[in-house]
Amino acid sequence: MRYIILLLLNVPIISIALLNLVTKFKLRKISKKRFSIQMILWAILLIVLIFSFPVYNLLTGKPPLDSHELSLFDIVQTTAVIFLIYIINNMRQKIEWNEKTIRDLHQELSIKLSEKDNGKS
Amino acid sequence: MSTANKVCVVIPAYNEGSVIKNVVKGIKTSLDATSIVYEIVVVNDGSKDNTTAQARLGGAKVIDHILNSGAGGATATGLSYANQNGFDFAVTMDADGQHLAKDVINGIEKAQKTDVDLLIGSRLIDTKGMSKVKILGNKGLSVITWLLFGVNVTDSQSGLRIFSQKALASLRWKTSGYEFCSEMLWRAKQLDLNISEYPIKAIYTDYSKTKGQNNWNAINIVKSLVKRRIVEIFE
Repeated sequence: MRYIILLLLNVPIISIALLNLVTKFKLRKISKKRFSIQMILWAILLIVLIFSFPVYNLLTGKPPLDSHELSLFDIVQTTAVIFLIYIINNMRQKIEWNEKTIRDLHQELSIKLSEKDNGKS
Repeated sequence: MSTANKVCVVIPAYNEGSVIKNVVKGIKTSLDATSIVYEIVVVNDGSKDNTTAQARLGGAKVIDHILNSGAGGATATGLSYANQNGFDFAVTMDADGQHLAKDVINGIEKAQKTDVDLLIGSRLIDTKGMSKVKILGNKGLSVITWLLFGVNVTDSQSGLRIFSQKALASLRWKTSGYEFCSEMLWRAKQLDLNISEYPIKAIYTDYSKTKGQNNWNAINIVKSLVKRRIVEIFE
């Protein structure tokens, strides 16, 4: 049951991330390389989540890989980590985009204003 | 030499009011003695002194940055101006007077005669007059540039560079501090631009020694370059 809760909480986050990724790629806002790498990262997370229960069963009773069963705290922690990855990834892209825009704006503005100044003098 | 080629001499400057007039006058006098068609553009990177007024007195066109954005940002603005105004070549040189006008002219002539897209004036082919600390710092950064980006040049931090029209139209970088010197070489390599070097002399006065990069700043440059390299693995 706990593994199902883990999936129910995290699959929507990963699905939204994948949907955003595909949309950005289709709208040509990100490069093919960036799309591929991000796709692989999110796909790995999804696969790890889906197969967490079978992997746990497989490793039970086989030291040193043996571990305790998933606790509610583990679910909250895992969900928080995945949600943070999603947020950080989005923020990084926005910051990069803003940095580029500000840099270009500053450059263009400086050139245009200087043309005005040099025209006056 | 062809006179049809227009050359833009870009001098990024930050608080260089005490020397910029003489630097501009020096290069202007030397270029006037040749048949090169040129314009000198000083990019004042938000200086707090009289850099703009002094550069104008020397005879340069001045682009004033509203905010201080670093050597990389100022160089990008100057090259963008050169590209927008149809220059065939652009030269960047330091505002502290460490570059000789004859080296600038030699570089322009070499670039005009060959199909090189990015020609770097290397201070490390002949290191006479350079302090051991400067040699070590600059060689170290060149090795790091080679390790991180696979670009093998002797002087990755030189401010004297000549750009072809092709380089002006395509070359862009993301960093705005001194690390842009290495990043620019990486971008040029990614764009398959033809990179070459030629020997130059660097004049270190008491004034120029206080400006530019020191070996401590090199640590920040390396940190920034490593960060940029890692981030771009995921891009």
